[in-house]
Amino acid sequence: MFKRVQTDIYRTDSAVSISGVTKTFAQWQRDNTGKGVVRNLIKPEKKVIKALDDVSFEIKRGEFVAYAGPNGAGKSTTMKLLSGMLLPTSGDIYVLSMSPQKQRRAIMRHLGVLFGNRTELWWDHPVIQSFEWKKVVWDIPEELYKKNLAMVTDLLDLGGLLKTFAREMSLGQRMRADLAMLLLHSPKLILLDEPTLGLDVVAKRQMIGFLKQLNEQDGTTIVVTSHDMDDLEEMAQRILLISNGRIAFDGDFEALRQELGCTKQMVYAYAANSLEEGLANLFTKWRD
Amino acid sequence: MADRITFKRIIKLLAISAKMDLIWLLRDTRFALAGISADMISNISTVSGVFLIASRFGGIGGMSTDEVLFMMAYSTLITGIFIIFGSGNNIHISRIIGRGQLEHLFIQPLPLGVQLSTNGFTPFTGGSNFIVGIVLMAIAVGRLELQISFLWIVSLMAYLLTTVTIIIARSYLVSSMTFYAPVAAEEISSTAIDGTWLISTFPLSGMPVFIQIPLLTVLPEGLMAWFPALSLLGRPPLGLTGYYPMLYALLISLAASFIFRKGLRYYVQKGSNRYLPYGFRR
Repeated sequence: MFKRVQTDIYRTDSAVSISGVTKTFAQWQRDNTGKGVVRNLIKPEKKVIKALDDVSFEIKRGEFVAYAGPNGAGKSTTMKLLSGMLLPTSGDIYVLSMSPQKQRRAIMRHLGVLFGNRTELWWDHPVIQSFEWKKVVWDIPEELYKKNLAMVTDLLDLGGLLKTFAREMSLGQRMRADLAMLLLHSPKLILLDEPTLGLDVVAKRQMIGFLKQLNEQDGTTIVVTSHDMDDLEEMAQRILLISNGRIAFDGDFEALRQELGCTKQMVYAYAANSLEEGLANLFTKWRD
Repeated sequence: MADRITFKRIIKLLAISAKMDLIWLLRDTRFALAGISADMISNISTVSGVFLIASRFGGIGGMSTDEVLFMMAYSTLITGIFIIFGSGNNIHISRIIGRGQLEHLFIQPLPLGVQLSTNGFTPFTGGSNFIVGIVLMAIAVGRLELQISFLWIVSLMAYLLTTVTIIIARSYLVSSMTFYAPVAAEEISSTAIDGTWLISTFPLSGMPVFIQIPLLTVLPEGLMAWFPALSLLGRPPLGLTGYYPMLYALLISLAASFIFRKGLRYYVQKGSNRYLPYGFRR
């Protein structure tokens, strides 16, 4: 029977609310000795890994938040929990005032998720075909689809790429197309896991500029993970630093610098046509 | 943006899959036609091998040559339906689970069942075997001089649906292992179904009962074409009722549903530490 779910996403001004969330994984342990192999057959050894340890935070609507931390800190686990791909071991999660565990489908109508190492585009079809597929699957009204298609085509400079097969695009082009596809249903919250991974300087600049514009003009809430602190600082107003599954810092970048004792910043203004040229000039000056 | 899954919505989802299939076919027609021809030749070879044996020996185990042809036609129709609806690894679900690609499905605003039943629909690139099956069926029915009534056609459709249900349930049942061993069991569905398909197309009439019974219970190969074909010809084997395949389909579907859901719960608790981009959306 059809079950009606609460889909009022405007009940509170909270976009993401995580309270006391712990996520543990069991990891098989094996050694390569004969004794170890026999022991493994009788009683396999497991190690419990705490990916998230009693994590709590809240993100308000319209915020642009950087979620940073070293490898294995728990960034991707958090992203997967927020998008309903994983369930927490304990704790409560609310995304746009809904529970990903119970209201996955309703959340997905207002959420956009992009993992830098994956694509949602159809590999052997032109980009526009993937967009049309999304229109049907998300049941996007024709008018909204046309409006958003025109907007992303213009802002992400996709005009020449719409008829190109996803498999024939460069990584930067593919990421732009993926980001465009993500925006077709006008998501209220966007989760980006390493969106600048592997992108060259130009493609990275384009993506950062677009995300900032989206946040500032449309008020879209954005949560982005990355290893690159410079990128994050340029994009986000607030940083959540995670380490060993715990929130180590929550505040703005200036406060983070104060906390870490990094109070000096070197600014180098260069007169050059590109960042590469500027860096080359800087290197030449430093060498001389 | 309605939340309700209506019949119209299912048709729209099937239509977009069909459109993309047609575009894919027209994109590179030479390669597509080569692929379709290879599929047809492969299936006709499997079927004609058994048929030629039946012709040479005047039938197999109490089944006449034309009855064997009828059974082969049924088998070809089943292969056709399987390819038309299951080209997106949505029937060989162990591949999607094993490659960590279920997460692509989780971020769509549709129930998993709806996604899986519509996203592998390829009537244009996958329809060749179905058409061959219809032609073979027409020839077999003509040679057997069967009196075709509306009720008989409904029975044929019910048996086809039952057989496809058994195939899907069996695939999902064995694929549940992939939740726990994604690497080792990635191909378990194709191994379980394709690996024994040759037995599925062989008439079991005349085989000892100790072979027939396991092939109607433990391994349902006898339910893929042999049992339904004989039932449609009015003489279900081993004195069983013609409804036996439906009962089997119901039981295996319930078992598959229970075990698959359990595996899915395990998956969303543990997650997947494996992701392979290949084979995800052609």
